[in-house]
Amino acid sequence: MRKSSSGMSRALVRRETTAGYLFLLPSLFFFIVFVIYPMFMCIYTSLFDSNMGKNTVDVFIGLDNYKELFQDQIFLRALKNTIVIVVVSVPTVCAFSLWVASAIYDMHPAFTSAFRCIFYLPVVTGSVAVTVVWKWMYNNYYGIFNYLLKGAGVIENNINWLGDARYALWCIILILFTTSVGQPIVLYVSALGNVDKTLVEAAEVDGATKTQVFWKVKWAQIMPTTLYILVITTINSFQCFALIQLLTSGGPNHSTDTVMYYIYYTAFKLYRFGYGNAMGVVLMVIIAILSAIQFKLGQTDS
Amino acid sequence: MKKILALLLAALMVLSLAACGGGSSAPAAEAPAAEAPAAEEPAAEAPAAEEPAAAASEITLWTYPIGNWGNAETVDALMADFEAATGIKVTVEYLDYTNGDDQVNSNLEGGGAPDLIMEGPERLVANWGAKGYMVDISDLWDDTDKAEVNPACVAACFTADGACYEYPVVMTAHCMAINYDAFVEAGADQYVDLESHTWTTEQFTQAVKALYDHFGGTVAAVFCGGQGGDQGTRALINNLYGGTFTNAEHTAYTADSEENVKALELLKGMDGIDFDAGIVGGDEIALFYNETLKMAFCWNIAQQLNPNSAGTGEELTLNGQKIEFMSFPSETGESALQGGIWGFGIFDNGDPAKIEAAKTFIKYFCDGEGTAAAVKAANYFAVRDTAEGIDLSGIWADNAIMKEYTKLMPYLGDYYQVTAGWATARTEWWNMLQRIGSGGDIAEEVAVFVTNANAAAAAEA
Repeated sequence: MRKSSSGMSRALVRRETTAGYLFLLPSLFFFIVFVIYPMFMCIYTSLFDSNMGKNTVDVFIGLDNYKELFQDQIFLRALKNTIVIVVVSVPTVCAFSLWVASAIYDMHPAFTSAFRCIFYLPVVTGSVAVTVVWKWMYNNYYGIFNYLLKGAGVIENNINWLGDARYALWCIILILFTTSVGQPIVLYVSALGNVDKTLVEAAEVDGATKTQVFWKVKWAQIMPTTLYILVITTINSFQCFALIQLLTSGGPNHSTDTVMYYIYYTAFKLYRFGYGNAMGVVLMVIIAILSAIQFKLGQTDS
Repeated sequence: MKKILALLLAALMVLSLAACGGGSSAPAAEAPAAEAPAAEEPAAEAPAAEEPAAAASEITLWTYPIGNWGNAETVDALMADFEAATGIKVTVEYLDYTNGDDQVNSNLEGGGAPDLIMEGPERLVANWGAKGYMVDISDLWDDTDKAEVNPACVAACFTADGACYEYPVVMTAHCMAINYDAFVEAGADQYVDLESHTWTTEQFTQAVKALYDHFGGTVAAVFCGGQGGDQGTRALINNLYGGTFTNAEHTAYTADSEENVKALELLKGMDGIDFDAGIVGGDEIALFYNETLKMAFCWNIAQQLNPNSAGTGEELTLNGQKIEFMSFPSETGESALQGGIWGFGIFDNGDPAKIEAAKTFIKYFCDGEGTAAAVKAANYFAVRDTAEGIDLSGIWADNAIMKEYTKLMPYLGDYYQVTAGWATARTEWWNMLQRIGSGGDIAEEVAVFVTNANAAAAAEA
């Protein structure tokens, strides 16, 4: 009987390979039907002037949707807003989570658990409920922010937080921040708790300061967690949709439009499916490039 | 063995994909047959000559919250009566105005639309009907029906080529509301006529001034956070100086008229009136109900009977202050109110038996023994005085508020919501108000609105 390089017989290898593929089959089926097929349909439809209608015929227009996209001021603004959200929220979420986790991970276990619960609450609370509460707080007429700021003499007249283009996007970013920090804090607390204590003690014996211990020893050991947090926070920021739909509908004057929301707006309000799909393709390319960069960084560091 | 396994796997994949796509392919194959009579014979004489399909025993209805048609308890009772009378079971799903359109559109594209839907002609006729998703139900109308139903409703439910995509059951006139106790306190009650419930632009301006001088802050909000309740802002702006939203033929948007620009300039310059991009119609009603705002532009009889849908008393705010409904102000005092028409339409799912059952449903609730109950449930007015000999004129005889509200019905204006490009026009409207609210030039912004809305109308025409 012929043997493979690992010493297994070919028949055994074939049997194990077959079993492996069979185990993969259910996932593969859903992956193809719900990811691969829609992805190709998205790319395919983006080349057509496709609109809603039972008897409408999709007209092939090549790259015209893409050409229109980069001349569409609303799309460019939505892209800019998305980038602002990602650029602001990803570093702040990571830095804040690391700071909180550093402060609480070596507390008494009861306090650590209590803080973890507090910061994780917005994550497990339904996004609609969270949004409704924030909407009350931002309310132009009786919101707590206006009440406190007026009481403290900081502002004279109420600020229409969600109705004023100068503030609306920052209000969205603040909510996104509060709902995004929970998971990174829990992950960082866990990662910091798993840092090899012997290395920390050795560094301290060698005279390293607390700052040096953190950056030279702990930071290196929690790097995989940091990379994971960067990836999920980036994806969350790109996917910011529900907050905008529930709070501002992209307004005022498109100041809170993101690419995700503008895709929805184009497809479901204006019924331009082909154009919406072209945006989806552009968003996919951007996320793919960012993910590739992040994976590359991860490989380098590991 | 390997080949057999590969073949099996490939067959499984193909079957799985075919199964996923099957839902849409089957109706598509049947659709032409179902559509053919409508396309060839708008008057629907041909299908009558054929053997009618046997009605299905189960159908689905999706309804927006039109009065108590959004209340499961009320609707269940109506459906039980219908099932007892016809043997047809109706499964009901409830939509809201925030996500309802998206839900319907997704299901239309995915082949999962309901058999029946309840809403107004702007959706059933101008949108889904125009896009080919609805069944032409003109065969449900005879000359008596056309004579009995309010002419504006008939006109709104039929297309120019004679197809009918909605059978109306109730109607109302949208209006605005005032906090009368606040008006009295500010001395602004002198500007309103509660006998006729009308006022002029001058009286409205004086009232806002008196309220602002007395209370300060925001008296009323031109809400523009989204499309919810936008009939209120349209009616306000169109009426102040007699502007129009579309032309009489419903072929073009005309909101850039001198009158509308003048109205927007008036509102933008008034102390106490804010263009608020942070709220929509529902939020405005809530702010009026809790007495933050002294006027609401998004109002109708259903709100008058149950303000903010809070169940805390007819015609009363949260703290018991008196609410009065008012017509929108105009130069003469006689305004053109935005109409609300609601009824049923049938989605063409390619199943003649279900279409037949859905027609039975429509006949029962719009022109039959169930009409009075359907009207009562909606909390609006019947579109006809008699249905198959049943007198509907006295439905609200015992309700003083409904009776008083009928004073506004003669002011029912043009039902322009059936103009092509309506979905885009609605979206453009609140975006335009947002731009004006944040300092945009009024004449330029209304011109942008009209350009974009007319482009959409031309694309759909």
